This record gives sequence, structure tokens and C-alpha cells, in this order.
Amino acid sequence: MNPEKPSAAGAASAPDAPDAPVAYLERIRAYYARLGYGAPYAWAHFEEVPFQPLRRRLEESTVALITTAAPYQPDKGDQGPGAPYNASAKFFSVYSGDSTHDPDLRISHIGYDRDHTSAEDPNTWFPLRALREAATQGRVGSVAPRFHGAPTNRSHRVTQEVDCPELLARCRADGVDVALLIAN
Amino acid sequence: MSLAARHLEANGIATVVLGCALDIVEYVGVPRYLFSDFPLGNAAGRPHDPASQGLTLEYALRLLAAARQARTTWHSPLRWADDSAWKLDYSNAARLSEAEIARRKAEFDAQKNIARQQRDLPAQ
Repeated sequence: MNPEKPSAAGAASAPDAPDAPVAYLERIRAYYARLGYGAPYAWAHFEEVPFQPLRRRLEESTVALITTAAPYQPDKGDQGPGAPYNASAKFFSVYSGDSTHDPDLRISHIGYDRDHTSAEDPNTWFPLRALREAATQGRVGSVAPRFHGAPTNRSHRVTQEVDCPELLARCRADGVDVALLIAN
Repeated sequence: MSLAARHLEANGIATVVLGCALDIVEYVGVPRYLFSDFPLGNAAGRPHDPASQGLTLEYALRLLAAARQARTTWHSPLRWADDSAWKLDYSNAARLSEAEIARRKAEFDAQKNIARQQRDLPAQ
């Protein structure tokens, strides 16, 4: 099975075709407009995109996970599966965890699809188990000793000037060749 | 997350973003993107489905090795469900009553205030 398919194939369907990908930019713009808010959220947008080919084979590479999930904080209200959106569970600086342990990470501070997923299974947003298996099977060289958490709810400026350099420094310190970034 | 991928990539670390929002990530612009056409929150595979999770990771790894240029997006062939009705629900203003809109606005304002207070707390 080959997953390769150019993006344009997705756009070949009419935008309102039942099976077309959700047009989130427009969906979210219309949603907040109906809630009565003014200017829509301005997503960052770049013409130029950097590209780094693999420096060594995956089988020899150290692979890190980067997540927007948050460590569970017992004093911050309901963060469990199916919890309503919980802004108090957000975090505001980069954190790291030990990849050899199973962390208790939650996504109650994220606007995931609460109608159709309950966030019961952390492996749907944090593929540490699958990555460990890939390392065990020799598909990748190793799992980086630490995974890293990237804050949400930041200005583009703070993300680019503070969080991104911090993530880079931590990845470099761990000898990371490849990073998997899991969006929520 | 897209900004972090860009920064790492510009500094010598190859990246792949796994996500469920095709248009947003492509709008920002990332080196490699594995798109799963799943509800938001499931970028690493279907819940309680290790095979789906393993395949999703495998596609991301293949994409890492196969991409030859920036803005390479692959669409995971995995499906969330036979029926695509789930796509109509997320933040769909057209499907919400006035009462529900008012409830959500109040909740959003309350959460926004909480986030602001959290952010302004001194570092601990």
C-alpha cells in the first residue's frame, strides 16, 4: 500500500463533497464569526519552506517526538478522556520527558474533535509505543532519550523566538537526527 | 507545531508533521506532512487500533525517507469510518442553534480568561 498522493488530489473533489478533507480554515473562521468575534485568527504563512534531507538512513537515526500534549496536572481540573476544553491545563514553556517511561499526557487544553474522539487512547496523538516498536524492529536507529512538549496559545513571535530555539537546543543535546511532530 | 518543524529543518534536523487538518498545515508550509483524514486529535492513528497506529508511523517514516523537496504531503490511505458524516460536526456554525452559540461563546470567553491568567502567572 503506497500512501503517496499529491495534495492536489484532495482538492480535486468539490470542497463540499462529503469525502473531501474538512476545510478547517473556513470552518473555524465562520465559527468564530458566528460567535461574534471580529478578525479571524491569523495563521502563520510562508512562501519559503526549508528542507533537510535525511542525514543518515532511518535505521541509523535517532528519532524524537514533539507533542502539543500536556503532562497531567492534578490541580488543574478535568483533563480526562472526554473532558471539556480546559485552558487551565495549558503550558507555556517547552518541557521534556523521559522516552523510556510512559508519560501521562493529556490533550484537554486542545481543540480536538470532542464529538468524534474521546482522547481515551494516548497512542492516537503520541506515538511513543509505535516508535519504540519501530526501534525494536530496527526500522529506526533509536528513540531519542527525551520527548518534548511544544506550547500552544503563543504568539508567532514567542513561538519562533523562544520555543523553537529551545526545542532545537534540546534535540541537538540528544543527538536527534529526525523529529516527528504530532499536531492536535 | 508547523513553526517548530520549520525551525528544526532549517537547522539540520529532518522533520515530518503528523496531522489531521490538511489546509491549515499546508497554509503555514512545512517540509513534510503526513495527513490523516481523521477527526482532530488522532494524528497518530485510530484509537485502540495498534495496527492503524503502527501504519501511521510507518507512513511518516517512509515520507521522511522519500521526500525530495519541501511541501511534500502524503495522504494516509487509512479511513476513520465508512461514513464521512463526522466531517460535518466540528465547529460547524451552520449546525448550531442560537442557544448553543450563546453557550459556546460564554464558555469560550471564560476559557480565554483562564488561559490569560495562566499565561501571566510568574514562572514556577
